[in-house]
Amino acid sequence: MRTALDTRALVRAGVILVVTALAFTLLAAFQSSGGRGEAPTVAVAEASTGFVPLTDAGLVTVAEATDTTTDDATTTTATTNRFLQNLVNGIAFGLLLALASVGLSLIYGTTGLSNFAHGEQVSLGAVLTYFLVSQAPVSLPLIPTQFTIGLPLLVGAVLAIALSAGTGWLQDKFLWSKLRKRRIGTTQQMIVSIGLSLALVNLLQWWIGGQKVRLSISIDTRHQYGPIQIGNQTLMSMGVAIACLLAVSAFLLYTRLGRATRAVSDNPSLAAASGIKVDGIIRLVWILATGLAAVGGILLALYEQGTSFDSGARLLLLMFAAVTLGGLGQPFGALVGSIVIGIVSEVSTMWLPPDLKFATALGILILVLLFRPQGILGRPERVG
Amino acid sequence: MSAKPAKSKDNNPFASINHEPGAAKIDPIITAHGIERTFGGLKAVDVNHLEVQRHAITALIGPNGAGKSTFFNLLTGFDKPQKGEWSFNGTSLQSHSPQKVARAGMVRTFQLTKALSRMTVIENMRLGAAGQAGERFWSALIPGLWKAKEEEITVKAEELLKRFKLYEKRNDFAGELSGGQRKLLEMARALMSDPEIVMLDEPMAGVNPALTESLLDHIVKLKDQGVTILFVEHDMHMVRRISDWVVVMAEGKIIAEGPPDTVMQNKSVQDAYLGAHHDTDLSEDLA
Amino acid sequence: MDWAGLLTDAGREIFAPTTAAFALAAIGLNFHFGLTGLLNMGHAGFMLLGMYGYAITIREIEANGGELFGVHMAAGAEILLGVLVALVVSVLFGLLLGWPTLKLRGDYLAIVTIAAAEMVRFLGRSQSLVGLTGASTGIRGSDFKRPFESVSPFPDRLVTVGPFTLHGSQSTSWWLVVVAWTVVALASLLFWRLSRSPWGRVLKGIREDEDAVRSLGKNVYGYKMQALVIGGAIGALGGVLWSFGNSVAPDSMGRPTTFWIWTLLLLGGAATVFGPILGSVIFWTALLVVKGLAGGLIPETWLSSTELEPFALVLVGATLMALVIFRPQGVLGDRRELAINER
Repeated sequence: MRTALDTRALVRAGVILVVTALAFTLLAAFQSSGGRGEAPTVAVAEASTGFVPLTDAGLVTVAEATDTTTDDATTTTATTNRFLQNLVNGIAFGLLLALASVGLSLIYGTTGLSNFAHGEQVSLGAVLTYFLVSQAPVSLPLIPTQFTIGLPLLVGAVLAIALSAGTGWLQDKFLWSKLRKRRIGTTQQMIVSIGLSLALVNLLQWWIGGQKVRLSISIDTRHQYGPIQIGNQTLMSMGVAIACLLAVSAFLLYTRLGRATRAVSDNPSLAAASGIKVDGIIRLVWILATGLAAVGGILLALYEQGTSFDSGARLLLLMFAAVTLGGLGQPFGALVGSIVIGIVSEVSTMWLPPDLKFATALGILILVLLFRPQGILGRPERVG
Repeated sequence: MSAKPAKSKDNNPFASINHEPGAAKIDPIITAHGIERTFGGLKAVDVNHLEVQRHAITALIGPNGAGKSTFFNLLTGFDKPQKGEWSFNGTSLQSHSPQKVARAGMVRTFQLTKALSRMTVIENMRLGAAGQAGERFWSALIPGLWKAKEEEITVKAEELLKRFKLYEKRNDFAGELSGGQRKLLEMARALMSDPEIVMLDEPMAGVNPALTESLLDHIVKLKDQGVTILFVEHDMHMVRRISDWVVVMAEGKIIAEGPPDTVMQNKSVQDAYLGAHHDTDLSEDLA
Repeated sequence: MDWAGLLTDAGREIFAPTTAAFALAAIGLNFHFGLTGLLNMGHAGFMLLGMYGYAITIREIEANGGELFGVHMAAGAEILLGVLVALVVSVLFGLLLGWPTLKLRGDYLAIVTIAAAEMVRFLGRSQSLVGLTGASTGIRGSDFKRPFESVSPFPDRLVTVGPFTLHGSQSTSWWLVVVAWTVVALASLLFWRLSRSPWGRVLKGIREDEDAVRSLGKNVYGYKMQALVIGGAIGALGGVLWSFGNSVAPDSMGRPTTFWIWTLLLLGGAATVFGPILGSVIFWTALLVVKGLAGGLIPETWLSSTELEPFALVLVGATLMALVIFRPQGVLGDRRELAINER
């Protein structure tokens, strides 16, 4: 009843689309005609200079903008090239997003919790890596000494992932499992996760400060494959992301533990009745999810050439969009959803200002909820 | 077409009714026709025809997964069928929202009791009342517009609470009541709007046996006051004791209708129960 | 360690306009969450829209020499029009948000509201709308504060009352204090009246179980929409009040702001009349005292002054967690509700 797709939902979606389109047109008109004189040039100039105050793949956008300015001889090939470049960027970003959102989806599936602190888990991976590998002096909160650990990047990253996975274990053991035992509802748990998110994001800021930090100081070499330009670090990130996602998929599909995880995700009470140790599975899911988030955070930091205390927090809504798009609680849905979100947000920069690309992704989330609240791979819920 | 009298009772409205699925009633309050509801290819409800007699207690029974609750949801607007039409008192209720169905005089209760936990018992009751102008936003701002009606509602609520032996609990939170008391509260709340028909979804589920008798009495008394009752139940004892007419569903279809003491002898009914759980002792259920 | 100074600052925080603005926003959220159980995680979006609505209206009129369509407007009329625009914008936003989502499960509303609020912020700080919203720098106070400050009956200089010194009319002024708390009082009165009416009873029923309320013949969707719109409009007013003491800046109305409002509402006690006010007072005073104490007592080498803010906010997050786990009814909530462990 509530999730069923009916004609009224379609009509609503249509009307909202029209209203949004109208609003945009009106705003654009307001800008170009009456408002301020310089307005019409603003959008154009800004699109071509690739001015991106908050977006992630800033560097890539700049590269792509120069791309368009250099070969304006044939506009059609330029458009195709730009599209291809954006597509590749989108897939790269989508794969990294998937690492984070698969975990979010697994947690939702097994516990029913929309974990608002998952973005901080992503940041934590990157920040821990920075802490372990940085050649610059680092410190810990409240401890007045500075020191340098300076591990090699690979060692530091593996250690950071292990530590992050450890925080997942800690969290479930000392927080979430207790809340479940006290039968605290998922709504209240969600608010607890919001509190945790608020505490963690500020803890990270306290720890490494507000500035952007880099995990690797090596300068990225870029390769040109036909019309597409791609950096070494991006290629590596994509490779690691694909390997991790394949490993997780294989785990979920072919191992006993993985099948048990999916069973819990499908129906916890039925899984418990058939002898699966639900609490153990949930503990495992927390470890897996936080570990994957850390991997995602580290790769993202390499891909974006830096990280900051809120780099994960900025991704949280995109993760939710991906998870919702794929169907809440469906790990493979989250994967598909992430790649869709990645591609859409990158490709949308062809028509919309790049600083609105996340807004586009969120707009898609809202549209999905209108058309297909159960997501791409989700099933409609049975009533009664 | 063997029209045998169901009960040797004076002016029994079911005396001349055929004991077959979809039988026409003398004075139907609900008429449903061709209702289909599928979930992912599975037909949960496929009711060809059903009429529910006015001023009678009709039981809807069937093995687990027969589609009884889904059918209930469809009739009360909580779910939408792919096909079919149904009417209440002669007016079509198709694609009506649950609140419109309720306002038309058809109020339901739920299998999992829905007492409003963090509201007091008396507030639960008041919420059930219809026609309180103060429930509209602008009127709510001016107490003068609704205070009188509120007192009227409270008097009625207290009467009902006394009848259902919940008067002493009126200022407790509904969440503090026992499971059986919540069932009673839910039923009493449904009566606040003076419905023509009350639809009870498993009224006995989870009720302490000590309370069962008084619940049954309440249902019979309701019928005496002219309220029509349709209920879903697993407890055959209750079905036999209070219902005038029994409708049996299996695999979404209505497979039999008849008075309680004869319908269970029906071959297809026994098959349906046997097919659903063939290792249980039928004598308990069907004897 | 300047104890007297800290005490004065803490005392000022109790009645500061910011405290009032957040109390007002929390009253709005109380309509959503406290009464109706709606998980609005985008309250800052309502506030930001309210600010934009007011500030842009006033700025355009002021830039036009105080004239609208050739008619000269008095300062009071400008304020009224600005507030009206703020309300209309937030009401439209509420309708647009609620329309598709209020039929879906509750956590969908949470995700959609937070996404929509972020979209408002992204749009507001986008370079493509710089002419309208001033992009990430926002709208300067001098562009929209004049009419409000010009109607102040208080003197145009610093005024000292007891230990507290504030300007009479400008920015964070005595005038703003009086207006802000008056609005808070009126909103509380509204909440008190409505929550004790049959209308409020229906909302509470929806909070407990919306299917039950539906089965009793109430139009649940309509009620949820009314609650969303009213709470959102009150939130927008909170935003306008806040902007009088500060400026319009999209990044100050991000997700953390929404989470603070949640924290202080739960702190004071959801669904209570004075919960939002008490919550806001405790929240802001405690934040100031914690920062003051930490700054004064913990050596600079351990906790530098730039680290004070995140340190205090870590405590806010921890408080929110502890509240939900150990005292979900807040300071003013009914203790009996604790016994009912449902949902």
